[in-house]
Amino acid sequence: MSVIDRLCYQSRLRYVNAEEKFVYAILTLIFCVASRSFAVALIAFAANGILTVGKGGISLSRYCRLLLIPVSFLVVGTAAILVDVSEIPMDAFAFPVGDRYLTGSRATTMEALRVCAAAFSSATCLYFLALNTTMTDILDVLRKLRLPSLFIELMMLIYRFIFLLFETAGAIRISQESRLGDRNYRTKARSFGEMGSALFIRALSRSNSLYDAMESRGYDGKIRVLSQQQPPRKKKILMIAGFELILAVLTIREIWVRTGGHG
Amino acid sequence: MTKKEKILLKASAAFAALFAVAPAANAMHIMEGYLPAGYCVAWGLVCLPFLIAGFISLRNKVKENRRSMTLIAMSGAFIFVISSLKIPSATGSCSHMTGTGLGAILFGPSAVGILGIIVLIFQAVLLAHGGLTTLGANTFSMAVAGPLVSFGIYKLCGKLKANRRVSVFLAAFMGDLFTYCVTSLQLALAYPSESGGVMASAVKFLGVFAPTQLPLAVIEGILTVVLVIGLESYAGPELNNTGFLSGREKEAR
Repeated sequence: MSVIDRLCYQSRLRYVNAEEKFVYAILTLIFCVASRSFAVALIAFAANGILTVGKGGISLSRYCRLLLIPVSFLVVGTAAILVDVSEIPMDAFAFPVGDRYLTGSRATTMEALRVCAAAFSSATCLYFLALNTTMTDILDVLRKLRLPSLFIELMMLIYRFIFLLFETAGAIRISQESRLGDRNYRTKARSFGEMGSALFIRALSRSNSLYDAMESRGYDGKIRVLSQQQPPRKKKILMIAGFELILAVLTIREIWVRTGGHG
Repeated sequence: MTKKEKILLKASAAFAALFAVAPAANAMHIMEGYLPAGYCVAWGLVCLPFLIAGFISLRNKVKENRRSMTLIAMSGAFIFVISSLKIPSATGSCSHMTGTGLGAILFGPSAVGILGIIVLIFQAVLLAHGGLTTLGANTFSMAVAGPLVSFGIYKLCGKLKANRRVSVFLAAFMGDLFTYCVTSLQLALAYPSESGGVMASAVKFLGVFAPTQLPLAVIEGILTVVLVIGLESYAGPELNNTGFLSGREKEAR
Protein backbone atom coordinates (compact mmCIF):
# COMPACT_ATOMS: atom_id res chain seq x y z
CA MET A 1 0.00 0.00 0.00
CA SER A 2 1.01 3.59 -0.24
CA VAL A 3 3.81 4.57 2.14
CA ILE A 4 3.23 8.23 1.39
CA ASP A 5 -0.39 8.06 2.47
CA ARG A 6 0.57 6.46 5.77
CA LEU A 7 3.35 8.96 6.41
CA CYS A 8 1.21 12.04 5.80
CA TYR A 9 -1.03 11.11 8.71
CA GLN A 10 2.00 11.14 11.00
CA SER A 11 3.36 14.45 9.79
CA ARG A 12 3.56 17.21 12.34
CA LEU A 13 2.46 19.66 9.66
CA ARG A 14 -0.71 17.67 9.05
CA TYR A 15 -2.96 20.12 10.89
CA VAL A 16 -1.49 23.24 9.31
CA ASN A 17 -4.04 24.97 7.11
CA ALA A 18 -4.24 22.94 3.90
CA GLU A 19 -4.65 25.92 1.58
CA GLU A 20 -1.39 27.42 2.79
CA LYS A 21 0.47 24.18 2.12
CA PHE A 22 -1.21 23.74 -1.25
CA VAL A 23 -0.48 27.27 -2.42
CA TYR A 24 3.12 27.06 -1.21
CA ALA A 25 3.75 23.72 -2.94
CA ILE A 26 2.11 24.66 -6.23
CA LEU A 27 3.73 28.10 -6.50
CA THR A 28 7.17 26.73 -5.70
CA LEU A 29 6.60 23.97 -8.23
CA ILE A 30 5.65 26.48 -10.90
CA PHE A 31 8.72 28.59 -10.23
CA CYS A 32 11.00 25.54 -10.33
CA VAL A 33 9.64 24.48 -13.69
CA ALA A 34 9.41 27.96 -15.19
CA SER A 35 12.82 29.19 -14.14
CA ARG A 36 14.98 26.10 -14.66
CA SER A 37 17.63 27.91 -12.67
CA PHE A 38 20.03 26.25 -10.26
CA ALA A 39 19.45 28.94 -7.61
CA VAL A 40 15.68 28.40 -7.51
CA ALA A 41 16.13 24.64 -7.58
CA LEU A 42 18.59 24.74 -4.70
CA ILE A 43 16.40 27.03 -2.58
CA ALA A 44 13.29 24.96 -3.21
CA PHE A 45 15.14 21.70 -2.57
CA ALA A 46 16.50 22.99 0.71
CA ALA A 47 13.23 24.57 1.84
CA ASN A 48 11.20 21.45 1.09
CA GLY A 49 13.76 19.24 2.77
CA ILE A 50 13.77 21.38 5.91
CA LEU A 51 9.99 21.61 5.99
CA THR A 52 9.31 17.94 5.36
CA VAL A 53 12.09 16.37 7.40
CA GLY A 54 12.79 19.07 9.99
CA LYS A 55 9.32 20.45 10.67
CA GLY A 56 7.17 17.59 9.45
CA GLY A 57 9.19 14.93 11.24
CA ILE A 58 9.41 12.46 8.35
CA SER A 59 12.56 10.41 8.90
CA LEU A 60 15.49 11.38 6.69
CA SER A 61 16.14 7.87 5.41
CA ARG A 62 12.49 7.49 4.41
CA TYR A 63 12.61 10.81 2.62
CA CYS A 64 15.77 9.88 0.73
CA ARG A 65 14.33 6.52 -0.27
CA LEU A 66 11.20 8.24 -1.57
CA LEU A 67 13.36 10.64 -3.55
CA LEU A 68 14.92 7.64 -5.29
CA ILE A 69 11.59 6.56 -6.81
CA PRO A 70 11.81 8.77 -9.92
CA VAL A 71 15.57 8.30 -10.31
CA SER A 72 15.30 5.52 -12.88
CA PHE A 73 13.27 7.74 -15.17
CA LEU A 74 15.64 10.63 -14.57
CA VAL A 75 18.73 8.59 -15.42
CA VAL A 76 17.32 7.06 -18.57
CA GLY A 77 15.62 10.22 -19.81
CA THR A 78 18.61 12.43 -19.18
CA ALA A 79 20.93 9.99 -20.91
CA ALA A 80 18.79 10.40 -24.01
CA ILE A 81 19.00 14.19 -23.81
CA LEU A 82 22.71 14.18 -23.10
CA VAL A 83 24.04 11.78 -25.71
CA ASP A 84 23.68 12.38 -29.40
CA VAL A 85 24.68 10.13 -32.28
CA SER A 86 26.39 12.12 -34.98
CA GLU A 87 29.15 11.94 -37.59
CA ILE A 88 30.78 15.09 -36.25
CA PRO A 89 32.09 15.14 -32.68
CA MET A 90 30.82 18.00 -30.52
CA ASP A 91 32.60 20.11 -27.95
CA ALA A 92 31.76 18.51 -24.59
CA PHE A 93 32.62 14.86 -25.13
CA ALA A 94 32.78 12.35 -27.99
CA PHE A 95 33.25 8.59 -28.03
CA PRO A 96 33.84 6.94 -31.39
CA VAL A 97 31.52 4.04 -32.13
CA GLY A 98 32.15 2.58 -35.57
CA ASP A 99 32.27 5.50 -37.97
CA ARG A 100 30.05 7.68 -35.80
CA TYR A 101 30.34 9.38 -32.46
CA LEU A 102 28.39 9.20 -29.24
CA THR A 103 28.72 12.84 -28.54
CA GLY A 104 27.28 15.84 -26.80
CA SER A 105 27.74 19.58 -26.78
CA ARG A 106 28.33 21.86 -23.81
CA ALA A 107 24.92 23.46 -24.33
CA THR A 108 23.05 20.15 -24.11
CA THR A 109 25.11 19.08 -21.11
CA MET A 110 24.16 22.30 -19.40
CA GLU A 111 20.53 21.82 -20.36
CA ALA A 112 20.51 18.25 -19.09
CA LEU A 113 21.91 19.41 -15.74
CA ARG A 114 19.28 22.13 -15.56
CA VAL A 115 16.51 19.63 -16.31
CA CYS A 116 17.79 17.31 -13.59
CA ALA A 117 17.93 20.11 -11.04
CA ALA A 118 14.48 21.39 -11.94
CA ALA A 119 12.97 17.91 -11.95
CA PHE A 120 14.50 16.97 -8.62
CA SER A 121 13.47 20.15 -6.87
CA SER A 122 9.95 19.98 -8.29
CA ALA A 123 9.72 16.40 -7.09
CA THR A 124 10.48 17.66 -3.58
CA CYS A 125 7.60 20.15 -3.92
CA LEU A 126 5.28 17.28 -4.78
CA TYR A 127 6.63 15.31 -1.82
CA PHE A 128 6.10 18.27 0.49
CA LEU A 129 2.45 18.37 -0.49
CA ALA A 130 1.97 14.62 -0.44
CA LEU A 131 3.84 13.93 2.79
CA ASN A 132 2.24 16.68 4.85
CA THR A 133 -1.31 16.94 3.55
CA THR A 134 -3.91 14.20 3.73
CA MET A 135 -5.82 13.41 0.58
CA THR A 136 -9.10 14.56 2.12
CA ASP A 137 -7.57 17.99 2.81
CA ILE A 138 -6.29 18.21 -0.77
CA LEU A 139 -9.79 17.38 -1.99
CA ASP A 140 -11.17 20.17 0.18
CA VAL A 141 -8.80 22.62 -1.45
CA LEU A 142 -9.75 21.36 -4.90
CA ARG A 143 -13.41 21.87 -3.99
CA LYS A 144 -12.66 25.46 -3.06
CA LEU A 145 -10.98 25.87 -6.44
CA ARG A 146 -14.44 25.21 -7.91
CA LEU A 147 -13.64 22.00 -9.71
CA PRO A 148 -16.89 20.31 -10.77
CA SER A 149 -18.50 18.57 -7.82
CA LEU A 150 -18.98 15.33 -9.75
CA PHE A 151 -15.22 15.21 -10.31
CA ILE A 152 -14.44 15.83 -6.65
CA GLU A 153 -16.96 13.27 -5.49
CA LEU A 154 -15.58 10.74 -7.91
CA MET A 155 -12.11 11.39 -6.52
CA MET A 156 -13.37 11.02 -2.97
CA LEU A 157 -15.09 7.71 -3.68
CA ILE A 158 -12.12 6.41 -5.65
CA TYR A 159 -9.79 7.31 -2.81
CA ARG A 160 -11.94 5.35 -0.41
CA PHE A 161 -12.31 2.36 -2.75
CA ILE A 162 -8.59 2.12 -3.41
CA PHE A 163 -8.04 0.91 0.12
CA LEU A 164 -10.96 -1.51 -0.02
CA LEU A 165 -9.62 -3.04 -3.21
CA PHE A 166 -6.03 -3.14 -1.95
CA GLU A 167 -7.23 -5.12 1.04
CA THR A 168 -9.16 -7.53 -1.14
CA ALA A 169 -6.26 -7.89 -3.55
CA GLY A 170 -3.88 -8.55 -0.67
CA ALA A 171 -6.12 -11.29 0.69
CA ILE A 172 -6.39 -12.93 -2.72
CA ARG A 173 -2.61 -12.76 -3.17
CA ILE A 174 -1.99 -14.41 0.18
CA SER A 175 -4.35 -17.27 -0.56
CA GLN A 176 -2.82 -17.70 -4.02
CA GLU A 177 0.70 -17.78 -2.64
CA SER A 178 -0.22 -20.25 0.05
CA ARG A 179 -1.53 -22.55 -2.69
CA LEU A 180 1.68 -22.35 -4.74
CA GLY A 181 0.18 -19.78 -7.08
CA ASP A 182 3.60 -18.34 -7.87
CA ARG A 183 5.42 -21.62 -8.42
CA ASN A 184 6.80 -20.59 -11.81
CA TYR A 185 6.37 -17.79 -14.26
CA ARG A 186 3.39 -19.34 -15.99
CA THR A 187 1.40 -19.79 -12.80
CA LYS A 188 2.49 -16.35 -11.61
CA ALA A 189 1.05 -14.68 -14.69
CA ARG A 190 -2.12 -16.76 -14.42
CA SER A 191 -2.48 -15.95 -10.75
CA PHE A 192 -2.16 -12.26 -11.41
CA GLY A 193 -4.76 -12.29 -14.15
CA GLU A 194 -7.17 -14.37 -12.11
CA MET A 195 -6.64 -12.13 -9.12
CA GLY A 196 -7.49 -9.16 -11.34
CA SER A 197 -10.71 -10.68 -12.60
CA ALA A 198 -11.76 -11.81 -9.13
CA LEU A 199 -10.97 -8.34 -7.86
CA PHE A 200 -13.12 -6.73 -10.50
CA ILE A 201 -16.06 -9.01 -9.77
CA ARG A 202 -15.74 -8.28 -6.06
CA ALA A 203 -15.51 -4.57 -6.85
CA LEU A 204 -18.74 -4.71 -8.84
CA SER A 205 -20.72 -6.40 -6.09
CA ARG A 206 -19.09 -4.15 -3.51
CA SER A 207 -20.11 -1.03 -5.42
CA ASN A 208 -23.69 -2.29 -5.68
CA SER A 209 -24.03 -2.97 -1.98
CA LEU A 210 -22.30 0.29 -1.19
CA TYR A 211 -24.83 2.16 -3.27
CA ASP A 212 -27.67 0.38 -1.45
CA ALA A 213 -26.13 1.33 1.87
CA MET A 214 -25.71 4.94 0.81
CA GLU A 215 -29.21 5.22 -0.57
CA SER A 216 -30.75 3.76 2.56
CA ARG A 217 -29.00 6.55 4.46
CA GLY A 218 -30.45 9.26 2.26
CA TYR A 219 -27.92 9.62 -0.57
CA ASP A 220 -29.31 12.11 -3.06
CA GLY A 221 -26.40 12.48 -5.43
CA LYS A 222 -24.29 14.57 -3.11
CA ILE A 223 -21.86 13.45 -0.47
CA ARG A 224 -21.56 15.95 2.34
CA VAL A 225 -18.57 15.71 4.61
CA LEU A 226 -17.57 17.82 7.56
CA SER A 227 -14.22 19.37 6.96
CA GLN A 228 -12.07 20.35 9.86
CA GLN A 229 -10.24 23.48 8.88
CA GLN A 230 -7.52 25.29 10.68
CA PRO A 231 -7.84 29.03 10.20
CA PRO A 232 -5.03 30.47 8.06
CA ARG A 233 -2.37 32.34 10.04
CA LYS A 234 -1.32 35.78 8.94
CA LYS A 235 2.31 35.19 9.86
CA LYS A 236 2.54 32.05 7.77
CA ILE A 237 0.85 33.67 4.81
CA LEU A 238 3.34 36.50 4.97
CA MET A 239 6.23 34.06 5.16
CA ILE A 240 4.96 32.11 2.16
CA ALA A 241 4.39 35.33 0.23
CA GLY A 242 7.90 36.51 1.00
CA PHE A 243 9.44 33.20 0.00
CA GLU A 244 7.52 33.04 -3.27
CA LEU A 245 8.43 36.64 -4.00
CA ILE A 246 12.12 35.76 -3.79
CA LEU A 247 11.58 32.81 -6.12
CA ALA A 248 9.56 35.00 -8.49
CA VAL A 249 12.32 37.59 -8.66
CA LEU A 250 14.92 34.88 -9.32
CA THR A 251 12.72 33.32 -11.97
CA ILE A 252 12.13 36.58 -13.78
CA ARG A 253 15.83 37.39 -13.66
CA GLU A 254 16.71 33.96 -15.01
CA ILE A 255 14.24 34.19 -17.89
CA TRP A 256 15.36 37.74 -18.67
CA VAL A 257 19.02 36.72 -18.72
CA ARG A 258 18.34 33.71 -20.92
CA THR A 259 16.22 35.51 -23.48
CA GLY A 260 18.62 38.46 -23.41
CA GLY A 261 21.55 36.07 -23.86
CA HIS A 262 20.03 34.53 -26.96
CA GLY A 263 18.84 37.78 -28.45
CA MET B 1 41.87 5.75 -29.10
CA THR B 2 42.39 3.03 -26.54
CA LYS B 3 42.24 5.58 -23.76
CA LYS B 4 38.94 6.86 -25.06
CA GLU B 5 37.68 3.33 -25.35
CA LYS B 6 38.61 2.72 -21.76
CA ILE B 7 36.66 5.80 -20.72
CA LEU B 8 33.70 4.63 -22.72
CA LEU B 9 33.87 1.22 -21.09
CA LYS B 10 33.99 2.78 -17.64
CA ALA B 11 31.12 5.11 -18.43
CA SER B 12 28.95 2.28 -19.70
CA ALA B 13 29.81 0.19 -16.65
CA ALA B 14 28.79 3.05 -14.37
CA PHE B 15 25.62 3.48 -16.37
CA ALA B 16 24.79 -0.20 -16.07
CA ALA B 17 25.44 -0.05 -12.32
CA LEU B 18 23.06 2.87 -12.02
CA PHE B 19 20.45 0.79 -13.78
CA ALA B 20 20.93 -2.02 -11.32
CA VAL B 21 20.57 0.36 -8.37
CA ALA B 22 17.68 2.35 -9.78
CA PRO B 23 14.65 0.82 -8.13
CA ALA B 24 11.71 0.41 -10.42
CA ALA B 25 10.83 0.20 -14.05
CA ASN B 26 7.50 1.95 -13.92
CA ALA B 27 5.12 2.52 -16.69
CA MET B 28 6.34 5.56 -18.50
CA HIS B 29 5.18 8.40 -16.33
CA ILE B 30 7.07 11.58 -17.17
CA MET B 31 8.63 12.75 -13.93
CA GLU B 32 7.50 15.85 -12.06
CA GLY B 33 9.19 18.98 -13.41
CA TYR B 34 10.77 17.22 -16.37
CA LEU B 35 8.96 19.16 -19.09
CA PRO B 36 9.40 22.89 -19.75
CA ALA B 37 6.52 25.06 -18.56
CA GLY B 38 5.16 25.76 -22.06
CA TYR B 39 4.85 22.07 -22.86
CA CYS B 40 3.09 21.36 -19.58
CA VAL B 41 0.39 23.90 -20.42
CA ALA B 42 0.17 22.86 -24.07
CA TRP B 43 -0.36 19.15 -23.32
CA GLY B 44 -2.94 20.09 -20.72
CA LEU B 45 -4.83 22.08 -23.33
CA VAL B 46 -4.61 19.20 -25.81
CA CYS B 47 -6.22 16.90 -23.26
CA LEU B 48 -8.98 19.31 -22.39
CA PRO B 49 -11.50 18.49 -25.15
CA PHE B 50 -11.16 14.76 -24.46
CA LEU B 51 -11.63 15.33 -20.76
CA ILE B 52 -14.68 17.53 -21.26
CA ALA B 53 -16.24 14.97 -23.58
CA GLY B 54 -15.53 12.25 -21.03
CA PHE B 55 -16.92 14.37 -18.22
CA ILE B 56 -20.16 15.05 -20.07
CA SER B 57 -20.63 11.38 -20.92
CA LEU B 58 -20.01 10.41 -17.31
CA ARG B 59 -22.40 13.06 -16.03
CA ASN B 60 -25.12 11.81 -18.34
CA LYS B 61 -24.51 8.25 -17.21
CA VAL B 62 -24.85 9.32 -13.58
CA LYS B 63 -27.98 11.36 -14.31
CA GLU B 64 -29.53 8.43 -16.12
CA ASN B 65 -28.84 6.00 -13.32
CA ARG B 66 -27.43 7.22 -10.06
CA ARG B 67 -26.23 3.74 -9.23
CA SER B 68 -23.52 4.09 -11.81
CA MET B 69 -21.75 6.64 -9.60
CA THR B 70 -20.34 4.04 -7.24
CA LEU B 71 -19.71 1.75 -10.18
CA ILE B 72 -17.64 4.34 -12.02
CA ALA B 73 -15.71 5.14 -8.87
CA MET B 74 -15.08 1.45 -8.25
CA SER B 75 -13.80 1.14 -11.82
CA GLY B 76 -11.39 4.01 -11.26
CA ALA B 77 -10.14 2.46 -8.05
CA PHE B 78 -9.77 -0.84 -9.88
CA ILE B 79 -7.55 0.74 -12.55
CA PHE B 80 -5.44 2.37 -9.85
CA VAL B 81 -5.01 -0.83 -7.84
CA ILE B 82 -4.25 -2.98 -10.89
CA SER B 83 -1.68 -0.47 -12.11
CA SER B 84 0.05 -0.15 -8.75
CA LEU B 85 0.38 -3.85 -7.94
CA LYS B 86 3.69 -5.44 -8.79
CA ILE B 87 3.34 -7.72 -11.77
CA PRO B 88 5.43 -10.81 -12.33
CA SER B 89 8.12 -9.69 -14.72
CA ALA B 90 10.61 -11.84 -16.55
CA THR B 91 13.71 -9.86 -15.57
CA GLY B 92 12.96 -9.72 -11.85
CA SER B 93 12.81 -5.93 -11.76
CA CYS B 94 9.65 -4.55 -10.27
CA SER B 95 7.22 -3.23 -12.83
CA HIS B 96 3.60 -2.22 -13.09
CA MET B 97 0.79 -2.49 -15.59
CA THR B 98 -0.51 0.67 -17.18
CA GLY B 99 -4.06 -0.60 -17.29
CA THR B 100 -4.81 1.55 -20.32
CA GLY B 101 -5.81 -1.30 -22.59
CA LEU B 102 -7.86 -3.01 -19.91
CA GLY B 103 -9.65 0.22 -19.04
CA ALA B 104 -10.44 0.97 -22.65
CA ILE B 105 -11.81 -2.53 -23.28
CA LEU B 106 -13.92 -2.53 -20.11
CA PHE B 107 -15.15 1.03 -19.88
CA GLY B 108 -14.71 2.59 -23.33
CA PRO B 109 -12.34 5.42 -24.20
CA SER B 110 -14.50 8.34 -23.06
CA ALA B 111 -14.88 7.18 -19.47
CA VAL B 112 -11.23 6.20 -19.26
CA GLY B 113 -10.11 9.78 -19.91
CA ILE B 114 -11.65 11.09 -16.69
CA LEU B 115 -10.84 7.99 -14.66
CA GLY B 116 -7.32 8.14 -16.07
CA ILE B 117 -6.64 11.69 -14.95
CA ILE B 118 -7.93 10.91 -11.45
CA VAL B 119 -5.79 7.79 -11.30
CA LEU B 120 -2.78 9.79 -12.47
CA ILE B 121 -3.34 12.44 -9.77
CA PHE B 122 -3.49 9.70 -7.16
CA GLN B 123 -0.41 8.02 -8.60
CA ALA B 124 1.46 11.30 -8.39
CA VAL B 125 0.39 12.14 -4.85
CA LEU B 126 0.27 8.68 -3.30
CA LEU B 127 2.99 6.81 -5.20
CA ALA B 128 5.19 9.58 -6.64
CA HIS B 129 4.77 8.19 -10.15
CA GLY B 130 4.46 11.09 -12.55
CA GLY B 131 3.70 14.56 -11.32
CA LEU B 132 1.37 17.53 -11.21
CA THR B 133 3.09 19.68 -13.83
CA THR B 134 3.44 16.74 -16.18
CA LEU B 135 -0.16 15.69 -15.55
CA GLY B 136 -1.30 17.01 -18.93
CA ALA B 137 1.35 15.16 -20.92
CA ASN B 138 0.87 11.95 -18.95
CA THR B 139 -2.90 12.17 -19.27
CA PHE B 140 -2.60 12.55 -23.01
CA SER B 141 -0.32 9.55 -23.46
CA MET B 142 -1.91 7.20 -20.92
CA ALA B 143 -5.53 8.21 -20.61
CA VAL B 144 -6.30 9.53 -24.11
CA ALA B 145 -3.95 8.24 -26.82
CA GLY B 146 -3.29 4.73 -25.48
CA PRO B 147 -6.91 3.88 -24.69
CA LEU B 148 -8.09 5.26 -28.05
CA VAL B 149 -5.71 2.96 -29.92
CA SER B 150 -6.61 0.00 -27.69
CA PHE B 151 -10.29 0.60 -28.20
CA GLY B 152 -9.86 1.06 -31.97
CA ILE B 153 -7.91 -2.16 -32.32
CA TYR B 154 -10.35 -4.03 -30.12
CA LYS B 155 -13.28 -2.87 -32.25
CA LEU B 156 -11.42 -3.57 -35.48
CA CYS B 157 -10.59 -7.11 -34.36
CA GLY B 158 -14.26 -7.52 -33.47
CA LYS B 159 -15.26 -6.52 -36.98
CA LEU B 160 -12.68 -8.85 -38.49
CA LYS B 161 -13.96 -11.67 -36.25
CA ALA B 162 -10.48 -12.33 -34.92
CA ASN B 163 -9.85 -14.74 -32.07
CA ARG B 164 -10.94 -13.22 -28.73
CA ARG B 165 -7.62 -13.78 -27.05
CA VAL B 166 -5.70 -12.39 -29.98
CA SER B 167 -7.83 -9.27 -30.14
CA VAL B 168 -7.58 -8.57 -26.39
CA PHE B 169 -3.84 -9.18 -26.49
CA LEU B 170 -3.36 -6.91 -29.48
CA ALA B 171 -5.48 -4.17 -27.94
CA ALA B 172 -3.55 -4.13 -24.67
CA PHE B 173 -0.17 -4.63 -26.34
CA MET B 174 -0.63 -1.94 -28.96
CA GLY B 175 -2.17 0.46 -26.45
CA ASP B 176 0.90 0.08 -24.28
CA LEU B 177 3.29 0.47 -27.21
CA PHE B 178 1.46 3.53 -28.44
CA THR B 179 1.58 5.11 -24.99
CA TYR B 180 5.32 4.51 -24.97
CA CYS B 181 5.74 6.02 -28.44
CA VAL B 182 3.64 9.07 -27.55
CA THR B 183 5.63 9.65 -24.37
CA SER B 184 8.89 9.40 -26.30
CA LEU B 185 7.58 11.87 -28.82
CA GLN B 186 6.49 14.25 -26.06
CA LEU B 187 9.97 14.14 -24.58
CA ALA B 188 11.53 14.56 -28.00
CA LEU B 189 9.41 17.61 -28.78
CA ALA B 190 10.54 19.20 -25.54
CA TYR B 191 14.17 18.19 -26.02
CA PRO B 192 15.02 18.06 -29.72
CA SER B 193 18.45 16.70 -30.55
CA GLU B 194 21.05 19.21 -31.59
CA SER B 195 22.23 17.34 -34.65
CA GLY B 196 19.03 15.72 -35.89
CA GLY B 197 16.08 17.66 -34.50
CA VAL B 198 12.91 16.16 -33.08
CA MET B 199 12.93 12.90 -35.02
CA ALA B 200 16.47 11.95 -34.02
CA SER B 201 15.61 12.78 -30.45
CA ALA B 202 12.46 10.66 -30.62
CA VAL B 203 14.55 7.73 -31.83
CA LYS B 204 16.89 8.24 -28.88
CA PHE B 205 14.06 8.29 -26.34
CA LEU B 206 12.41 5.27 -27.97
CA GLY B 207 15.75 3.50 -27.78
CA VAL B 208 16.56 4.14 -24.14
CA PHE B 209 13.10 3.19 -22.91
CA ALA B 210 12.75 0.13 -25.16
CA PRO B 211 14.48 -2.37 -22.83
CA THR B 212 11.94 -1.77 -20.08
CA GLN B 213 8.88 -0.93 -22.12
CA LEU B 214 8.83 -3.65 -24.79
CA PRO B 215 8.77 -6.61 -22.38
CA LEU B 216 6.27 -4.70 -20.27
CA ALA B 217 3.91 -4.34 -23.23
CA VAL B 218 4.06 -8.09 -23.92
CA ILE B 219 3.46 -8.93 -20.25
CA GLU B 220 0.62 -6.44 -20.05
CA GLY B 221 -0.96 -8.02 -23.11
CA ILE B 222 -0.77 -11.51 -21.63
CA LEU B 223 -2.10 -10.43 -18.23
CA THR B 224 -4.97 -8.52 -19.82
CA VAL B 225 -5.95 -11.61 -21.79
CA VAL B 226 -6.02 -13.77 -18.65
CA LEU B 227 -7.97 -11.07 -16.85
CA VAL B 228 -10.57 -10.51 -19.54
CA ILE B 229 -11.06 -14.23 -20.10
CA GLY B 230 -11.56 -14.65 -16.36
CA LEU B 231 -14.11 -11.87 -16.30
CA GLU B 232 -16.04 -13.29 -19.21
CA SER B 233 -16.25 -16.75 -17.76
CA TYR B 234 -17.20 -15.69 -14.24
CA ALA B 235 -18.95 -12.36 -14.53
CA GLY B 236 -20.83 -12.32 -17.82
CA PRO B 237 -24.22 -11.25 -16.42
CA GLU B 238 -22.74 -8.61 -14.11
CA LEU B 239 -20.76 -7.08 -16.92
CA ASN B 240 -23.79 -6.96 -19.18
CA ASN B 241 -25.86 -5.31 -16.47
CA THR B 242 -23.33 -2.54 -16.03
CA GLY B 243 -23.60 -1.64 -19.68
CA PHE B 244 -19.92 -0.90 -19.59
CA LEU B 245 -18.59 -3.66 -21.78
CA SER B 246 -18.70 -2.44 -25.31
CA GLY B 247 -21.18 -3.67 -27.88
CA ARG B 248 -19.47 -6.80 -29.03
CA GLU B 249 -20.02 -8.84 -25.90
CA LYS B 250 -23.68 -8.04 -25.89
CA GLU B 251 -24.01 -9.22 -29.47
CA ALA B 252 -22.08 -12.37 -28.72
CA ARG B 253 -24.34 -13.31 -25.87
